[in-house]
Amino acid sequence: MKKPKKIAIVIVAGLFVYLSLYTWNLRTGHLDALSSHTGLDIASLVIRPGQWVLEKATDFWERYIHLVGLKQQNDDLARENARLVRKNMILAAEARSAERLERLLGFTPPDHWEFSGARVVAHRMGPTGSLATLAVDRGGASGVSADMPVVSLDGVVGRVLRAGAVASTVLLLTDANSRIAIIGEHNRTPGMLAGQGYGEPLTVHFMNLNAVIDPGELLLTSGLSGIFPKGLPVARVVRVRRSDISLFLTVEAEPLVDVAGLEEVLLLHQAPEAPDGPEAAQTKEPGPKPAHAPGTTAREEAAGVPEH
Amino acid sequence: MFPSTNIVALLWWSAYTAAAIWLHRTVPGVDLLAPGIVLSLQEDGGRRTVWLGLAWMLIIEGTGNLPFGYGLAWYGVLVALFLLGRSVFEARSLVFMALLGLALGALHPVITHSLASLAELTVDGRRLLLEGALQAAFFPIVWVIADKCYPRMLRQDVKHL
Repeated sequence: MKKPKKIAIVIVAGLFVYLSLYTWNLRTGHLDALSSHTGLDIASLVIRPGQWVLEKATDFWERYIHLVGLKQQNDDLARENARLVRKNMILAAEARSAERLERLLGFTPPDHWEFSGARVVAHRMGPTGSLATLAVDRGGASGVSADMPVVSLDGVVGRVLRAGAVASTVLLLTDANSRIAIIGEHNRTPGMLAGQGYGEPLTVHFMNLNAVIDPGELLLTSGLSGIFPKGLPVARVVRVRRSDISLFLTVEAEPLVDVAGLEEVLLLHQAPEAPDGPEAAQTKEPGPKPAHAPGTTAREEAAGVPEH
Repeated sequence: MFPSTNIVALLWWSAYTAAAIWLHRTVPGVDLLAPGIVLSLQEDGGRRTVWLGLAWMLIIEGTGNLPFGYGLAWYGVLVALFLLGRSVFEARSLVFMALLGLALGALHPVITHSLASLAELTVDGRRLLLEGALQAAFFPIVWVIADKCYPRMLRQDVKHL
């Protein structure tokens, strides 16, 4: 057989095998799962020891050597703590009142969720890291699965894109492929929040021209997509424009979370159905619950994600 | 019994992989394992390169967020370009490495855009071009550094006269 013919056959055969593998993987996801359970986990295991050393060195420097502004920071924290305690008391009273009203109106209480902490191992990495993502040190072994909501103390961060055994990839809300069903805090106008890339404002789709939405209004998860629980803060409206050619408003919003500076996140998962009774009623008390993954205690969880 | 050269090779390539993973964390969008494939082809031969390629393919696919397929196309084209280019250029010349880097720099946006289109994902085109430029710049530099650090006892090539 002549050489050019041989090369052509090799190229065609290679393309055929490649496309077959690609199509098979799109249908089954086996190769994606394999790479998540090997490549992502290995990378996470390689990064963690170095990250630990780096954090310890930084911590040592900041705690024992670089003490500039410590007194000022301490005073500020004491003031902030006093303010938060007062706010917490008011919110707890409001929450109890809301629960009573809900019961009064006969609303079915929403499924309650549990939080588990995770440390950010890396942000976008490698040549195939084309989407705005971050890697966290919790995976399938800790009960993490795809589409699990990810939040921080400031608001929604995104959702789990892929889960390995000991690490997962989180798609950030700023990515152009992220979509979150939202509702305005005051005017209760629903819409679909989409990212436009890091550093770009978020945009709200499908908000009717006659809908009421104000700049500065907080956008909350509506719970309609079935991924996020209802009522989590996501973003704040920064600009509302009416278009002459579109049936929808042009709404821009800014995320509440600084995704570039995230070091720890919370993974939300639905708690198993609790039996009815006084203890069950206690678990329905609103507010963040002690963060721990299934199969681990809160103490173990706290040890996994140290405070900074 | 495992020959000592194999143990040294295992340690060296493990260290290279760990360093590259850390650099991937720092410079997203750039593959610093690719120069290792070329170095392995030059120094180790086919069998070890296949194992390294498979492991690294899983790493770049696992740490990334595109559907599986980038690594196979990326390393497949790299190996094909190296084998074809070897018949035209001196296999260990810096010019050849720079040209391979340029080819990879052009290839990165093409493969990423194709895979993203197939999966109906939106990716930032300008950022892909920038990553391609970085890939082209990093490839020969990383190859030179890796080549200089490669253990002498593992070398199978003959030095230039």
